[in-house]
Amino acid sequence: MIRDITIGQYYAADSPIHRLDARVKIVVTLVYMVSLFTFQDFAGYAAAILFFGIVLALSKVPFSYIMRGLKPVLFILLLTGMLNLFWTPGKEIFAWGVVAVTWEGIRKMIYITLRLALLILGASIMTFTTTPNQLTAGLERLLRPLKIFRVPVHEVAMMMSIALRFIPILVEETDRIMKAQAARGADFESGNAFQRMKSMLPVLVPLFVSAIRRAGELALAMDSRCYHGGEGRTKMYPLRYRGRDIFGYLCCLVYIAALAVTVRISPF
Amino acid sequence: MRSGGLKVLWRRIMQKKKEAVLIETKDLAHEYGRRDENGDVTGIVRAIDGISLTVRAGDFVTVLGANGSGKSTFARHLNALLHPTEGVVYVDGIDTSEEEMTLAVRQTAGMVFQNPDNQIISNVVEEDVAFGPENMGVPSLEIKKRVAESLAQVGMQKYRHHSPNHLSGGQKQRIAIAGIMAMHPKCIVLDEATAMLDPAGRRQVLETLHRLNREEGITILLITHYMEEAAEADAVYVLKQGKIALAGRPETVFGESDKIKDCGLALPDVSRIVQKLNNAGLPIDKRILTPEKLTEALGRLAAE
Repeated sequence: MIRDITIGQYYAADSPIHRLDARVKIVVTLVYMVSLFTFQDFAGYAAAILFFGIVLALSKVPFSYIMRGLKPVLFILLLTGMLNLFWTPGKEIFAWGVVAVTWEGIRKMIYITLRLALLILGASIMTFTTTPNQLTAGLERLLRPLKIFRVPVHEVAMMMSIALRFIPILVEETDRIMKAQAARGADFESGNAFQRMKSMLPVLVPLFVSAIRRAGELALAMDSRCYHGGEGRTKMYPLRYRGRDIFGYLCCLVYIAALAVTVRISPF
Repeated sequence: MRSGGLKVLWRRIMQKKKEAVLIETKDLAHEYGRRDENGDVTGIVRAIDGISLTVRAGDFVTVLGANGSGKSTFARHLNALLHPTEGVVYVDGIDTSEEEMTLAVRQTAGMVFQNPDNQIISNVVEEDVAFGPENMGVPSLEIKKRVAESLAQVGMQKYRHHSPNHLSGGQKQRIAIAGIMAMHPKCIVLDEATAMLDPAGRRQVLETLHRLNREEGITILLITHYMEEAAEADAVYVLKQGKIALAGRPETVFGESDKIKDCGLALPDVSRIVQKLNNAGLPIDKRILTPEKLTEALGRLAAE
């Protein structure tokens, strides 16, 4: 289960989406995420799913691969779905004590789960198609105005990209520690949620110790490779807008326009 | 005639270059403060104690030592990650304690560390190799060229767009070496870079290092506790408790089996066999280090 975490991983492929400037992808993803909260009807979701589908198809990231990203949040999805199903007032289909299933509840459940799923999928398609360094460079550039307020933009971006790099390593390490402790009789499977959480404590302590040690070694390695902050740094692939990036922004505008139109004329 | 003269001149220049001292330490010592739980200094540990050695440009030098012999502390001085408590370190003529020259030192003597995962900073191989030159402010086009070159030098060009997470330990260390090569160093210092690898990975890394040394003229300073890795070196230093216990060509150092055991190191298999054969009364040269040479010597002995 723990190896299924694909959040923030890069999927190497050569596609029009991969080639887009990181800034385009960051901005469009943000716009897309915000747009998910602007509608409450069928037509809006249809437009959002269509847009996501087109981007996914263009990106050459396999459908099953991106869906795996939903696995770790499956529980949250189900929980919010259930809550909405049972606690939405409206025309009742059947009632059962305090809970009642209503038509409105069913609709709301579907919409809320879809919205959450699209939020995560939208964000993961960005990280799947953008290397961490490009992402860092894009963020750094977009946030550059904040430098006036003394925000350490380069450092924050660097930290983020390193965090992404170490996700799979720490996941593997967790797996190893859990297996080592299971071999010595630790039990992670049985008991209620609270007991299971408690049994994770002996996993977390060595994990943190090793993460801190890794951080120290990484800092040394970065030092020895002449890292001295963002000052005077160049890039192998400097960010430069090209025709296709303008086209990307235009596509995003078309999506927003389509959304506005469908939401207005939608009969639901 | 004339071109012959030029050739002689060229050879002389190359010879001079080879004789040039790249790394020099004089009475180098480093002390760590030992601290208690409150962070107060309770004692002083002298990790290295009076090391003087010189490494000529183009040499392949191995520094051997058991755990706690001070070899990692020594390595970190060559990269200006640590500064001497006593003595001096010169890298290509630069005193490493001059703070404004730190970047120049690190660029001249690149360093590869033990754990491959903890020194790769990117999820894509080529971006990791580009990290050093990017920090140095090399222009973009030149970075691309250097990345392609250095990946080819370590034989990893096929993996340029891959993620390092799916590579073997030996391949990851070769990526780390490529990351240093892209900085165009004169010397690579490897701090136990083979310690976490399986035998195949270790062989890959060693072959790469010997090739870089031979073909690109890169000075290699290999720090390790595996004696067999010292077999093909130009010079070997053995550290014990922060001091140089033995120094010389590998054949001579390997001959001193008692002293080596005393330093906490294990002799390579071939040397052990040679020693046992000698004890059994067969006169075989104690300086033999490779299985091929041993078979040859045994064959000669049998013929006699």
